[in-house]
Amino acid sequence: MGAVVLKRAALLVVLLALVFLTVELLPGDAAAATSERGESAADIERRRELLGLNRPVLERFWDWMSGLPTADLGTSARGEKVTDLLSSAFPNTLVLGGLALLLTAALSLGLGCWAALRPDGRVDRAVSGTATAVLALPEFVVAVALLLVLSLWTGWLPAVTLTDADGTPSDWTMLILPALALTIPQTGWNTRIVRAALADEARAPHVETAVLDGLPPHRVLTHHVLPGALPTVTAGLATSTGMLLGGAVVVETIFNYPGIGSVLASAVTDRDSPVIAGVTALAGAVITGVLLLADLVRDLTTGSRR
Amino acid sequence: MLWLGGAIGAGTLLTACGGGDEEPAASATGGTAKPVKGGTLRVGALGRAGAITRDPHGSQANESDYLILSLIYDTLTVPGAKPNTAPRLAASWKASDDLKTWRFTIAKGAKFHDGSPVTAEDLVFSLKRLRATPAGASRLPGIQEKNITAEGTDTVVLVSDYANAELPLLTRLTTFVIPKGTTDKDIAKAPGTGPFKLDWFRGGNARLVRNEDWYGGDVHLDAIEVKIFESPQAMASALLAGQIDLASNVGAVAARTAESRKDIQAVRRPNDMAMPIVMRTADGPFADAKVREALRLAVDREAMVKQVLSGYGTVANDILGTGDPAFDKSIPQRTRDLAKAKELLKEAKFDTSKTYELYTTEDISGLAESATLFATQVREAGVKVKVVKQESGTFWDKTWLKGDLYTTYWGTNDSVVFFASKTMVSDSGQNEAGWKDEAFDEAYEKAIGTADASARTQLLKQLQQIEYDSSGYLLWGMADGIDLAGAKVNGLPTLPGYGRVQLEQAWLAR
Repeated sequence: MGAVVLKRAALLVVLLALVFLTVELLPGDAAAATSERGESAADIERRRELLGLNRPVLERFWDWMSGLPTADLGTSARGEKVTDLLSSAFPNTLVLGGLALLLTAALSLGLGCWAALRPDGRVDRAVSGTATAVLALPEFVVAVALLLVLSLWTGWLPAVTLTDADGTPSDWTMLILPALALTIPQTGWNTRIVRAALADEARAPHVETAVLDGLPPHRVLTHHVLPGALPTVTAGLATSTGMLLGGAVVVETIFNYPGIGSVLASAVTDRDSPVIAGVTALAGAVITGVLLLADLVRDLTTGSRR
Repeated sequence: MLWLGGAIGAGTLLTACGGGDEEPAASATGGTAKPVKGGTLRVGALGRAGAITRDPHGSQANESDYLILSLIYDTLTVPGAKPNTAPRLAASWKASDDLKTWRFTIAKGAKFHDGSPVTAEDLVFSLKRLRATPAGASRLPGIQEKNITAEGTDTVVLVSDYANAELPLLTRLTTFVIPKGTTDKDIAKAPGTGPFKLDWFRGGNARLVRNEDWYGGDVHLDAIEVKIFESPQAMASALLAGQIDLASNVGAVAARTAESRKDIQAVRRPNDMAMPIVMRTADGPFADAKVREALRLAVDREAMVKQVLSGYGTVANDILGTGDPAFDKSIPQRTRDLAKAKELLKEAKFDTSKTYELYTTEDISGLAESATLFATQVREAGVKVKVVKQESGTFWDKTWLKGDLYTTYWGTNDSVVFFASKTMVSDSGQNEAGWKDEAFDEAYEKAIGTADASARTQLLKQLQQIEYDSSGYLLWGMADGIDLAGAKVNGLPTLPGYGRVQLEQAWLAR
């Protein structure tokens, strides 16, 4: 486990270095991107010096990295502390992503099991078909449809998220639409994984024995099939974390949800390496954490069965 | 000469700074009703979370930030209708005979939110701080830091390097005044002098409460809540769902969506934004004035306004600064004349077998669409144009100021001289078309050095005629600024550009 942690951490550092280099390769830089139209070349050069952009990229990367242990994520091109920019945005995204992940897990497990109870029955075919269709829907289509139906036409739910003085959504109902917009496509994806894993496991010898023993189908499912399928299901959900964070960028824009999506999008426009790297580091850490958790689940479940 | 905000490539509309009015005109509804005191106005404004700034002299790309700052802090002057500069923190101003030395006198009773009076020292400190920013030279052009001094307790003296009849216009936008000695560390806490005081700020959202002691007159609203929105669509959704009362500068697309709703008022602010096509005059295929004339005759202006701006705009006449009180309406409006255009192209021996590239970006809505429609229209005159969309950063880096044919945009349209000085005088720093014209330079210098208003108007007419005849700009139309508001909102500003942030006269009907 320790080696895995080290390997994942090293991967994160490489990823961050890549982020710095990629921003460097984009045309223009933070000094030009944040300048005003009337500024002369000399003014922009001065801004470049103020931002330290005249130094080599590796030096800047090292400076930024060396601040990490003290939780210092550097300063944005507009002079705001990156930790300030992310302090309410990142937790908000985590809440949204976490909620969507939980909903996805519950829904896909439920649907997958329901379908597995009657293999090739009507329910099974309906669930699998719908799952495939939904999986192909982009988040923004789902989001716009939800917005129109559940808010603008019916007035049941708030259309966008507004925030309070503490930086969090002012009402919990504002979380429903963005969470659903993220959950629906991911549930399509995960239901298929759950269904496939259950089908694989159903062919295992110990399951067949249980069926021949005359155990009721739901008991076979919960006690014999599901435990074996769990590692695959967990891995699928772990992969969803990355996709949920990616989808959040789109969904947050549509619902004006105050998360990292908006921060990241504007940081890219501004060529603002410290901000982009800050978002990447946090998102990377979360995904790494979830993947480790999935590994742990696999180790525990397979370990207990050996 | 007017300062232009707006980060390059940031897709910002902050370049906007049109006229506004000291006392904003009444809104579309209830214009004559008597204002009612009280209520909280929830305003949506565009902004990107990563580009937030709290510094009134900082590099501002967010409308939301600018709105918050201009409600808390006051500038020396503000946009007006006629004249286009109205007093604010500076109650009056006076120029020396040579138009180089300007004295601004502080309004009586002006106080910071903490109760301390505003002195000339605070103004000197703030203006010097502004001047010392990287954008300082363009925000206060021609005024060196050492030439900003105090005279007595209530007068600040600005000495320009050259005669400048429009200097007070320059102080309309970012000359926010903060107390003397405010450090960068404390900038977010600096008290202002404006109509509202900051209650809280978080992540681009803010709540502002009425300043009971504002020297500028009665403020009707109890509070204004500013909500940051990344996209105009989300802002329009919020308005339609009743989550906000005002969607500031939300644009034509949202206005069209809201047209069917009787309970939503669309406030149109004419002359808000110019998106001219730049034709390089210095060299290249458009260097011949006849070719440029031909393209100006080939464009179908009415179709452009109708399709690109959804009709929310007006046809323009290739002269920038349409909102200027001195804008020359006597110059005949150019209309489409394909026969004449073809003739001119033939005379100029223009190579119609070649395809010319027109560069554009998607910085603001409608810009890329304008390029595409233009390309279709000029094809009918025999000019083949291919539209090349560039990513914003690349566009400003590689194409702007250099390209042969490209789109640009400006949000300031209330001064002919501003455009002349910034983009057309031979040595201007942002000469977008590389245009050099001695007669134009001469007319400009005379105009800016003339104190007498009617004499200056005459000189400005000359200037506009030359611009109309031979500059590198094809200005087909002017976009309206569009705000959407709920039925209860009254007293909204109707002037273009930065006029929209002047919400101190707004009120809510009961």
